[in-house]
Amino acid sequence: MLNNASQPDHAVGRSAIDPHRLAQIERRNRRERWGRAWYKFSRNPLSVLGLIMVVTITLMAIFAPFVAPYPQHAEPFTDFANASKPPGGQYLFGTDEIGRDILSRCIFGFRYALVMGVAVLSLVVPVGVLLGLVAGYFQGTIIDTIIMRVTDIFLSVPPLILALAVASVLQPNLTNAMLAVSLMWWPWYTRLVYGLASALRNEYFVVSAETIGAGTGHILFREILPNMVSPILTKMSLDMGWVVIIGSMLSFVGLGVQPPTPGLGTMVAAGARFLPDQWWIAIFPALAIVVVVLGFNLLGDGLRDLFSAEES
Amino acid sequence: MQRQADALRRLGLFLARRLVQSIFVLFGLSILIFTIARVLPGDPARTALGARAPQETVDRLREEMHLNDTLPVQYTYWLGDALRGDFGMSLVTRRSVTTDIAEFLPASLELVIFAGVLTLVGGIALGTLSARYKDSWVDNLIRILSYAGVVTPAFIFAIIFLLVFGLALDWLPSIGRLSEGVPKPPLVTGLITVDALLAGQLATFWDALQHLIMPGVALALGSMAQEARITRATMADNLNKDYIAAERALGIPERVVMGRFLLKPSLIPTISIFALDFAANLANAFLVELIFNWPGISRYGVNAMLRKDLNAITAVILILGVVFILMNIVVDLVVGALDPRIRLRAARSD
Amino acid sequence: MKALSRILLVFMAALLIGSAVSAQDEARSLRITFSWPNYIDPAVGSDFASSTSLANLYDTLVFPMGDGTVSPWLAESWTISDDGLTYTFTLRQGVMFHDGSELLASDVAYSFTRLKEIGEGYAYLLPAATVAASDDTTVSFTLEQPSGLFLPSLVRLYVVNEDLVRANALADGLYGENGDYGKEWLLTHDAGSGPYMVEEFPLAEYLQMAKYDGWWNAASFVPNAADRVRFIGTTETATVRSLMADGELEITDQWQTNEALTALDGLDGVDIKTFPTMTSFYYMMNNRLAPLDDVHCRRAVAYAFNYQQALALEWPGTQQMVGPVPSTVGGHNPDVTVYTRDLDKAREELAQCQYGADIASYPIDVVWIAEVPAEERFALLFQANMADIGLPVNVISNPWLSVVENTSRQETSSHIVTIYVASDLAEAGLMLQQRYHSSTAPTWQQNEWLLDPDLDARIMDALNTADAGERFAKYAELQAYIADLSPSLFLYDQLQKHAVSSRVEWTPEANSPVMGYQFYLPLIGVNS
Repeated sequence: MLNNASQPDHAVGRSAIDPHRLAQIERRNRRERWGRAWYKFSRNPLSVLGLIMVVTITLMAIFAPFVAPYPQHAEPFTDFANASKPPGGQYLFGTDEIGRDILSRCIFGFRYALVMGVAVLSLVVPVGVLLGLVAGYFQGTIIDTIIMRVTDIFLSVPPLILALAVASVLQPNLTNAMLAVSLMWWPWYTRLVYGLASALRNEYFVVSAETIGAGTGHILFREILPNMVSPILTKMSLDMGWVVIIGSMLSFVGLGVQPPTPGLGTMVAAGARFLPDQWWIAIFPALAIVVVVLGFNLLGDGLRDLFSAEES
Repeated sequence: MQRQADALRRLGLFLARRLVQSIFVLFGLSILIFTIARVLPGDPARTALGARAPQETVDRLREEMHLNDTLPVQYTYWLGDALRGDFGMSLVTRRSVTTDIAEFLPASLELVIFAGVLTLVGGIALGTLSARYKDSWVDNLIRILSYAGVVTPAFIFAIIFLLVFGLALDWLPSIGRLSEGVPKPPLVTGLITVDALLAGQLATFWDALQHLIMPGVALALGSMAQEARITRATMADNLNKDYIAAERALGIPERVVMGRFLLKPSLIPTISIFALDFAANLANAFLVELIFNWPGISRYGVNAMLRKDLNAITAVILILGVVFILMNIVVDLVVGALDPRIRLRAARSD
Repeated sequence: MKALSRILLVFMAALLIGSAVSAQDEARSLRITFSWPNYIDPAVGSDFASSTSLANLYDTLVFPMGDGTVSPWLAESWTISDDGLTYTFTLRQGVMFHDGSELLASDVAYSFTRLKEIGEGYAYLLPAATVAASDDTTVSFTLEQPSGLFLPSLVRLYVVNEDLVRANALADGLYGENGDYGKEWLLTHDAGSGPYMVEEFPLAEYLQMAKYDGWWNAASFVPNAADRVRFIGTTETATVRSLMADGELEITDQWQTNEALTALDGLDGVDIKTFPTMTSFYYMMNNRLAPLDDVHCRRAVAYAFNYQQALALEWPGTQQMVGPVPSTVGGHNPDVTVYTRDLDKAREELAQCQYGADIASYPIDVVWIAEVPAEERFALLFQANMADIGLPVNVISNPWLSVVENTSRQETSSHIVTIYVASDLAEAGLMLQQRYHSSTAPTWQQNEWLLDPDLDARIMDALNTADAGERFAKYAELQAYIADLSPSLFLYDQLQKHAVSSRVEWTPEANSPVMGYQFYLPLIGVNS
């Protein structure tokens, strides 16, 4: 199908500009655009706030053992003398029913939230993008039909429900929760990329690459893919937040991170038993979830504004 | 006349194609769910009857459930039953899953519809307000609040509401659909508020409404915030259009400009997002129903999942799938009706 | 604007009517929260909520007493044949089911057959027997072998109304000519003769029962017995708390945390009532898995654990277990080895253990049940205690269904599983059988995997001894033997705790410890 190598240039009916040079210009333009983009991005205070939040949370998660005031409280630990202490000087967010510092556990909770998000996205994005690229590029063929009809099936039910169902038949732990969410998440990328790819495949630089006989791999990954980086990045940033929410929901019903590991959703569920008197046990982990999601959303919105401004 | 007939024909064609597509999707979904449910280790018949039931009873149930056949054969039996509305027995409630769903689905629908009304009214009102006073403190306040609404999961709202309004202030009832001693209205739709109004039982209606408020608002806030943001964005876009300036210049009252010329065309994205949110709320209701002890299909589904009640799990997912697909079709129809420029596309790709 | 004010008016009127309705209904109403599900079919239910419901909806041949014995109930008297195999009961006359028909000997026979054929619920407790109703008031059971447990186990034979069940049975079912044996109908209805009857049962919400004035023993209703009882299907702390604060709940469930109970205790007119049960908290050690397969290592663990600190985490008044059975059951032996924290003794035992020198390289897993979050702190305490003798411990939580699955096979059973076990009847021997007989090894009731044929034979011999004194002596010996074996950690006898409104007059400690009879409703008074 892509055996264009023998076709003469004029068969395409386009101007005879050297496609290599064209690609070069393309790439330079792209670099310049990134520079301008950062300038624009940095002028929106909310986006910058999002970026700062995300960076801070990530750093806290990575260096949790050094940042948390009581790192040993994230491991199996008991201090019944200090159980259920309200927020105060020694324990900024108070302690839980076992005497563990909630602030420290929230900081370690960021870690599991981010691990969940990163792991799910690094599973889902390559698979989803690849399938979407292939289906979009081969639009109208049997490959397209198969991939997109299967995608439709997965998209016919809200992802939370299927993730819950899959997680419930597996042993409940972080790995299986990540698998369950991943299994339900890839179709969203497939559909996004499919739409973009089927539009891009008729663009002049794709057609010209075909003309000079570039391989399918080259066209998919070097010509089409670089042109959809921005929407994919935007979606990834927004999705980090949603994956954290879904992960916390799974943990809330007991299908995710298991105690004593400090998962944020697990902590909210455990703390809910002590409402309303020991409200801090549930509320601070709940706020921690909101903070993570907020950070990634602000960042994602900033990226989206940026990219849509670029296009117009 | 000719044009109308044409439009009708297109509509019919569109519906037919979407239905065929939906049937295909549901068929695929049923295979997916069946596979998830049957890869589990263990004997479903033994699980259903308990560890101490006599082996012969278990064998009889195995026979009845066709568990001795191959998986594809089992699937055809299961599909045949499912098509007749028979999803088998629930492990937890010990009765037919169909009965369970008939009992629990109306409670969820009542909750989701209530949340939907709040979403639509609140979202459009806030969005319009925000657009009308664009860049003022009203706008900024609404934008910040709606951001908080979007990023906060419903179950966290639910917990906070329960804490503040149910426990600390004690303003609202915190569990169930009706207080004890309040007479239940005769069953018509299964939605207690509606049934109570039909039967003229105002006290029951009022009580049921109070029970709806906390779970309903917790569920609605997220989508309401989303709606507000979208309404504001579209209206702000249209606000810059020349025809609005022209109308203002002509001295048409601001109220009329906002309502007739600005709001209406701005509603299309709002409505399409709303319909999807409505279906998604059936799923988001999972934890909200759990927290408020709301006897709905989501709570039923979570309990089924935690107890590995396979028949119930598969049925709940299929039902929610059907609702989701139907809502998608409705979106297309409504959007088509609102905006004659958008022709109904047989295969929406987004 | 006019329309709006009219709607507001209607709302206000509705509000007034609403409050009037609820005030009127306040009289003699008893509301209790329970965990869900609640199976009220006598051949299906066996957990706490079900047992409590069944005890109040149905009558039994004999009634369990506070001292662990049984007294005549539907059966006025009975005789036992000399070989100990045939029990013949003479029934009370004029007992009416809730539908007004008379309870006959044939109903008893039908109930027994139905229970055994369905085989769920409490069916396993009743021994195999042939049953015959020779006339309307005489029913006899012939056992296959003598049993000391037959009479006590009859408190789990709830007598159903045969005609009513048959009339409501579905033709299509698993039980041949009996169709579904009325299982679907009995899920939400009762066919009993007990002091209360089902009024309304929206599954997953509540079970509502009404007082049955035609009860044969109506004279024993306390004067202020509730007219209407509602078992509410929730144990959510926050909801229970707000119901109690609003006066919409009289008694809470037993699953509230200590923190929640303390808070409830602080409410006006609410007190905490506690009473002993037949439930004990065990750390079940896998006796087949190194290092716990050596009795000295097991004893070292038993001596290293800090029982006093564990009790301090529980509600005040909770007592450490004495031996392998709860102290409330008949035949409990108070003179057995009781382990208390003694690190010297622990190290001494460890030195004798074959793994003693190298104990640090034998880490053990402690699995607690994810649905019972209060267990976590005991597991963490255990971990801290074992560090004192150099034994590394991993604390793991597992959901109940996984625990059930994992304990069913020896190779997947963990080192230690922490489980509360309730004795089904007030008989020490039954608890010993539940916990240490080989037949229960593949169930969650035993993670020890003792698999000792001698012990099995001794337990069965004790259970089959018809004479109570002789039987209890055999139980006592067995308890001493098992205590020395240290197959499990015996943590504490559970205290059942409920927050109770001061409107309620309730003395559960006077009732039988058999599960379900603490809430024998005819004896609970409610003042409005």
